[in-house]
Amino acid sequence: MDWAGWAVFGLVATTGLTAVMIAAQLAGHTRLDLPLMLGTITTEDPDRARVAGFAIHLAIGQVFALFYAAGFAALDRSEWWLGAVFGLAHAAVALAVLVPLLPGAHPRMASERAGPDSTTVLEPPGLFALNYGAATPLVAVGAHVAYGAVLGIFLGSS
Amino acid sequence: MVRRVPIGDYGLIGDTRSAALVAPDGSIDWWCLPRFDDPPLFGRLVGGPESGWFSLGPAEDARVVGRCYRPDTVTLTTTWTVEGGELELADGLVAEVEGRFLPSTVLVRRLTARGRAVHARLHLAPRFGYDRHPARRTTRRAGALVCEHRDLAIAVTSDGPTVEADRSVDFDVRPGEPVTIALTAAYRSPLIVVPPAVASAELARDETGWRTWAAGIEVTNHRDAVARSLLTLQLLTYSPSGAPVAAPTTSLPERIGGDRNWDYRYAWPRDACIGIAAFLAAGKPQEARAFLAWLLHASRLSRPRLPVLFTVDGRPGPPEAELPGWPGYADSRPVRIGNGAARQHQLDGYGWVLDAAWLLTDAGHGLYGETWRVCAALADHVAATWTEPDAGIWEKRATPAHHVHSKLMAWLALDRAIRIAAARGDRRRRRQQRWTVARDALADDIRARGFDPVQRAYTAAYDSTELDAAVLMLPMIEFEQAASPRVVGTVDAIRGRLSAGGPLLYRYPPGTDGLAGGEGAFLPCSFWLVQALARTGRSDEAAALFDELVLLGGPLGLYGEEMDPSTGEHLGNYPQALTHAALVQAALALSATTTPADRELTRPC
Repeated sequence: MDWAGWAVFGLVATTGLTAVMIAAQLAGHTRLDLPLMLGTITTEDPDRARVAGFAIHLAIGQVFALFYAAGFAALDRSEWWLGAVFGLAHAAVALAVLVPLLPGAHPRMASERAGPDSTTVLEPPGLFALNYGAATPLVAVGAHVAYGAVLGIFLGSS
Repeated sequence: MVRRVPIGDYGLIGDTRSAALVAPDGSIDWWCLPRFDDPPLFGRLVGGPESGWFSLGPAEDARVVGRCYRPDTVTLTTTWTVEGGELELADGLVAEVEGRFLPSTVLVRRLTARGRAVHARLHLAPRFGYDRHPARRTTRRAGALVCEHRDLAIAVTSDGPTVEADRSVDFDVRPGEPVTIALTAAYRSPLIVVPPAVASAELARDETGWRTWAAGIEVTNHRDAVARSLLTLQLLTYSPSGAPVAAPTTSLPERIGGDRNWDYRYAWPRDACIGIAAFLAAGKPQEARAFLAWLLHASRLSRPRLPVLFTVDGRPGPPEAELPGWPGYADSRPVRIGNGAARQHQLDGYGWVLDAAWLLTDAGHGLYGETWRVCAALADHVAATWTEPDAGIWEKRATPAHHVHSKLMAWLALDRAIRIAAARGDRRRRRQQRWTVARDALADDIRARGFDPVQRAYTAAYDSTELDAAVLMLPMIEFEQAASPRVVGTVDAIRGRLSAGGPLLYRYPPGTDGLAGGEGAFLPCSFWLVQALARTGRSDEAAALFDELVLLGGPLGLYGEEMDPSTGEHLGNYPQALTHAALVQAALALSATTTPADRELTRPC
């Protein structure tokens, strides 16, 4: 296991993923704001939340990079397209399983069952995070495919 | 011919995710599931008997002797008198289900007899989708009647009669032995069957929650009317996102038998902002902040343009379509879903948003940096586009025009942005200078082209002589001194020329909107007139007008969008959030000018 490669390129790939998501958000393709979504676990102020959320997202990205590295090691090969396939699966799991689970764990995210006592600040993402815009699944898939491709290229070369 | 229950006689129950209308005979004639803008499970209100209903009430000669909400709750009770006894029906939806093993939707209907056993009848006719299909599969499981159709299923439990679908069931309700029917629903999830006793206990728990919430309402005058309006606004707010729907219905007509039938089951930023002002002034800052948060989140994809309306989960409003075969309320066709106004450009929306942000700032609820950046971007957009014509607040489907109300609201947007920037100590002087230049240019433009010296009033549009009741906002926005001859002249001219008799006003001269036939008096305008009179120093007139308007409310204190001036019948989608928000604002404007408890009209129950 190339720990230095994992540490560096996991960071690079996660930064790239975050950049794609933020760019898509600023371009008006999605309301999904991963740093905000993760950061509001710690604070209600959106500006502070983004800073905290970015750090949380980097940490999560490193953890996922570990799984990618393990996958490449198990298959004994590392290609950009293989990373992209991993990224596709990663996005599918994130959109269909992880994001819909968030309302149950996130202290400031409402659920589809929220009532008038709800003091939450984020609306629930819904299946495939479609509540955050129709193009959200496409943007998430693109970002995760890029994340996987970066890891496929660089974890292999290192 | 569709059964005709006056619109204003319906009672509203809800769980802040969906809402149902209950007729005085105990029939639920409208209930969309699982959320406000989904197809109705019971749609008889505008869809005829083929669209389903759920009736529960006496099966013998009876007369309604009381309908009211339990004080400071949203549980509706209907009481009938029969020979030698009484029957009471309590209806409610359980709002707080989070954190408990309950389905998202729990309807509770409880019959109680007094004096003697009363013969009662139940008829459950659920329909699914806009094609009004009966359930694909009806079974009896876990002690419940289960009706399933595609991704929606309902389960009905009863501690009285055995409930059947599409079949009337007669039974007796004995004193001391109330009968409870619970209907639960599941959408794309497993059904959770709730025993009637549990459902009844949950509704009682919910009532405590509503009472606690209502106890925090800080008003002194007209508390009953204000509290009912705020509770109604809460019921019309979709809790998962915080989006306020304009009304829970579609296609209730603005003229009986006419085609002015629109779908209001969406969220308008304007309504949200008026709600912010109403909740804030009534001592509910958390609800006010929630509206602004929803609005800024929902508008993210279109920034800096502000869409006219959204779905409750923040998606663009769906295109307008007509439902073939739906007879409409009192033969008022077509029945529409979706709303074509979604594609319009309405300049006034920006003013409502920036004013709401200013109200929060001024009340000491500072804006987050992100919120301020969004508000500033909206102000930039107004400064760059205010010279363009727009569709106006009334969403006329005619050629865009330079509406004076829209220009006034654009002025308001820039003025409030400047105020917020000053309050925050914002140092971007060049941008504030740009806003100031645009604001002053707008003011000059409005005074030059939007004022008719002959009528001594601001007009509906530039270079026009028509009047527009929306311009009653003038004294509230501080565009000019409230006591100035131009402002007072405008209020008086609108009051005189757009009068529909008594306290009622038309929003614009009837017959000038390009649609066939007329429409009713527009109720929010009457409450705006109360505010305008109070602000221009005529508080006695304002208070008298408000008293008249309170008495014009439905038997349950609910208001539609419009009213037939000749019959007093409520028209349009019902109940209407804009009317209730305007009522609250009018009452609060009066509070500033009259002494507490000097006017308290209570509705007998």
